Amino acid sequence: MSTKEPQKTDILQGTLDLMVLQTLATLGPLHGYAIAARLEQVSDRSLRLNMGTLYPGLMRLEQRGFVRAKWGVTDNNRKARFYEITAAGRRQLASERAGWDRTASIMHALLNEQR
Amino acid sequence: MTWMGAMVTLREWSRRLAGTVRRSRTDGDLEEELRFHLDLKAAETRRRGGGAEDAERAATLQAGGLAQSMEALRDQRGLRWLEDLARDVRYGYRMLVRNPVFTIISVVSLAIGIGANCAVFSFADALLLRPLPVPRPAELLVVGSTDSLSGSLVSSYRDYVDIRDVSRSFDGLLAFTTSTAAFAAEAGAAPRLSMGMLVSSNFFQVIGIEPELGRAFQPNEGEVPGRDAVAILGHDFWERRFGADRSVIGRTVHLNGIQFTIVGVAPSGFTGLAQYTRSEFYVPLMMWPRLTADPTARPLEARAFRNVTIEGRLKSRVTMSQAQAELSTIARNLEQAYPDTNRNRRLVVRTDLQNRIANAQRVATLLAMLTVLAAAVLFVACANVAGLLTSRAPLRAREIALRMSIGAGRSRVIRQLVTESMLIALHGGVLGLGVGYAAVRLFHQIQIPTDFPIVVAFELDRRALLVSLAVAVASAVLFGLAPAVTSTRAELTTVMKATDGAGSGYRRRWGRAVLVGGQVAIAVVLLVVATFVYRGFQRQLGTGPGFPTDHRLMLSLAPGQLRYSDAQARQFFERLSERAQLVPGVKVAALTRFMPMDGLPPSVTIIPEGFQFPVGKESATHASSIVDEHYFDAIGLPILKGRGFRATDSAEAPRVAVVNAVLADRYWPGQNPIGKRFRLDNSRTPWVEIVGVAKTSKYGFLIEKPMEFVYLPYRQRAPQSMFLLIESAGDPSSLAAPLTAVVNGLDANMPIANVRTMDELYRMRSVAVLGVIVTMIGAMGTMGLALAIVGLYGLVAYAASRRTKEIGIRIAIGARRSDVLRMILQQGMVLALAGLGLGLALSLGVARALARIFPGGPGGDGGTDLLTIPMVAATVLAVTLIAAFVPAHRASRINPTEALHYE
Repeated sequence: MSTKEPQKTDILQGTLDLMVLQTLATLGPLHGYAIAARLEQVSDRSLRLNMGTLYPGLMRLEQRGFVRAKWGVTDNNRKARFYEITAAGRRQLASERAGWDRTASIMHALLNEQR
Repeated sequence: MTWMGAMVTLREWSRRLAGTVRRSRTDGDLEEELRFHLDLKAAETRRRGGGAEDAERAATLQAGGLAQSMEALRDQRGLRWLEDLARDVRYGYRMLVRNPVFTIISVVSLAIGIGANCAVFSFADALLLRPLPVPRPAELLVVGSTDSLSGSLVSSYRDYVDIRDVSRSFDGLLAFTTSTAAFAAEAGAAPRLSMGMLVSSNFFQVIGIEPELGRAFQPNEGEVPGRDAVAILGHDFWERRFGADRSVIGRTVHLNGIQFTIVGVAPSGFTGLAQYTRSEFYVPLMMWPRLTADPTARPLEARAFRNVTIEGRLKSRVTMSQAQAELSTIARNLEQAYPDTNRNRRLVVRTDLQNRIANAQRVATLLAMLTVLAAAVLFVACANVAGLLTSRAPLRAREIALRMSIGAGRSRVIRQLVTESMLIALHGGVLGLGVGYAAVRLFHQIQIPTDFPIVVAFELDRRALLVSLAVAVASAVLFGLAPAVTSTRAELTTVMKATDGAGSGYRRRWGRAVLVGGQVAIAVVLLVVATFVYRGFQRQLGTGPGFPTDHRLMLSLAPGQLRYSDAQARQFFERLSERAQLVPGVKVAALTRFMPMDGLPPSVTIIPEGFQFPVGKESATHASSIVDEHYFDAIGLPILKGRGFRATDSAEAPRVAVVNAVLADRYWPGQNPIGKRFRLDNSRTPWVEIVGVAKTSKYGFLIEKPMEFVYLPYRQRAPQSMFLLIESAGDPSSLAAPLTAVVNGLDANMPIANVRTMDELYRMRSVAVLGVIVTMIGAMGTMGLALAIVGLYGLVAYAASRRTKEIGIRIAIGARRSDVLRMILQQGMVLALAGLGLGLALSLGVARALARIFPGGPGGDGGTDLLTIPMVAATVLAVTLIAAFVPAHRASRINPTEALHYE
């Protein structure tokens, strides 16, 4: 069924949303495989995205109006679905990013103090 | 989450909803995207070295399976539960269409059950439950002291002012009284009696409504008695009488001959605060002394003149018990300050609904009984459907097991079965609305015979629809959940192996037997009630009201409404009586304050000489009327002892009274009541001597308990509005025109109301009402029995069909068909008899409850109806015998060879 392990996926999805939006914001329109490849590359191959995670995530971003998608043609002349960040997506990215930075700095301060 | 966040979530869900309905992306589209991903992944793996096939498998492995990803995407695309629901509904429909007999029996059973509840609710809603057409009606509270005769909360204007000024619990307290007045649009026009409300100046503000046109009353219009002759029109009345003319504001109209300026029009839908009355006008309470028909009443000064109703809403954070505590203190203070008028006058606060129930306890009890009966019918209906579902369960067990074995979760299967039940229930509900509609049409026979805008509105409105829906859903849970849970509990392997899922057969049959026994028991109770009530009412109608209803005509007159003085009114009635007597065809013409069978009689307080009241009580309140010396002749009530009134019982003569036999027996049992005395109201009034005892009749309603009644002579009391009652030689209705002419000859402006024959009044007030109640209860009894029969028939047929093989063998080895018949029949009849016995036992308790609803028994004579029980028992026995015999007979006709080949 669809609603198993909500906690784990939620955390992952929140982060995934941020990563995908950031990727699209820097690199412009990309298809799903390219997004996955980029994340894999940036993370030094430690982050391998499952299709069953990536595509529903993209669809959710699309449904929320943060990305828009249309079928296009790759450099190799293959039909592919390209995702592009929207204005709402950029706003979402900015606010998520601020939140992330805040969390990170709090964690940083806390962990350094503990030491 | 912020507002933005909420918007985003809303957008996601609306798109997912669109994804469900419109399929914004097809499965093919989704798959194409995934395949592209896999291709690139495979290409990459190949680049790193590896065979083509290996690469593809590795890619799929790494990227997650295609099927799983598709599933995840589909989940995200739409609303999974909605898609499931749509699928379940489609599937459910297929099942229903494939089993038409099951479907029809179930849907019709439920239609009857739900329809009965819908009908009873509509009935109760019109009579008791429907909230007033005001904002937040549930918060409106009524304050006052209990009127001993009607049970409602009343107050006097003086008490109202004190309570209003002292109380801190309420967000404003309003007061009103309902009143009739002769209304004329112009000075010269003949006035018509109309009905409206005299209200405190804060009336509209406390209720929380604004006039549609013009203004509400202003505070200074509640200060000076008789000064501010301003009126607000009721919306209906404004439309009817003034053609919804918006220029009425500022126009002058006449109420009881006084000029009033119209200052406003009430909003549409607002009909005042009296339950059935559609108020035609609203004027300030301060105008009461000038409008009243009885100038001696001093309505604004007399603390004992308790004719206003006080209502209000609590301040926020004040509870009802706090308000009650405060009111109790106020009541004690009033009692100390005014011991004459306020002794033992406790103040009570009630919600509007509580007050209505207290006002109409008999109606409330009757409605409660009808509700219980309707619930019983629904239960029998649900038991039918549950029984059918249970007998279908073995057939479906394999299908369910199959679905579960290929991975459907148990909750998923239960959800699907419940969906099917809901489908049946909703269809039953829709058909049930038809039953409810038919009942509402029947209720329309109940009309209140009056010229006034008093309406009991029986409607199949939104409230009734909601209740029916709720009942339908509740019934689906009732009949559908248990079979769904049990049929998904089955062991997969046993079911798959067995030919017809014999797994839990024994327990299932037991459960069904209990259901059917219960059905028969409930049907018996329903029938006993129906028969009791039917026979009781028939007997009451046969006995009649205690006086003849034929050859009698009445009309009501209120000279006070023309500002007649006492002497003028007396003279008017004097002449009317004389002249009416001379009209050809009139045998007797009489005057009476109260007309029997025309609602609740007025009351008087009496202190009988030498009677010991219980501690704390000094007087008793009884129903009464004021009548002239011709009345007993005209209505046809015999004087049992002593004499009736005479023309010589005048204001100067000693005070006299006639009482009925019940009153005489109560205060002077075993003594001659003639010559006994009582005082009226309090211990300072002169003695009144009893000169006659009249036969006891019915006064308010046909099925009332025999009640005490006091007649006072018209010549010794201030004349008020009176009925002219005529005994005619021929057709009474032919006298309406000449009598109207007599009244007009005396005063062309005198409004005449409620001209009708006693037959008509009796028919509308008693026969129609009892008829509707009997039809309702009778229908529920019949339906209950019919449903129980279907249940019994179904069970016996089912049991026989499961024993087909056994019966075949028995016959093959030489059993006689009559033995088989007896065997199957016995099974059914054991249940029927058990149900019958249980039902009869329950009926004894029910009979006791009935006696409380219809005091003196439904027959009114206090006797229990001994014939009812054997009648019902015989009917149920005969009918159940047939219901069991038909399938048993069919089973005994089985051809053994066919039976053994079966399966």
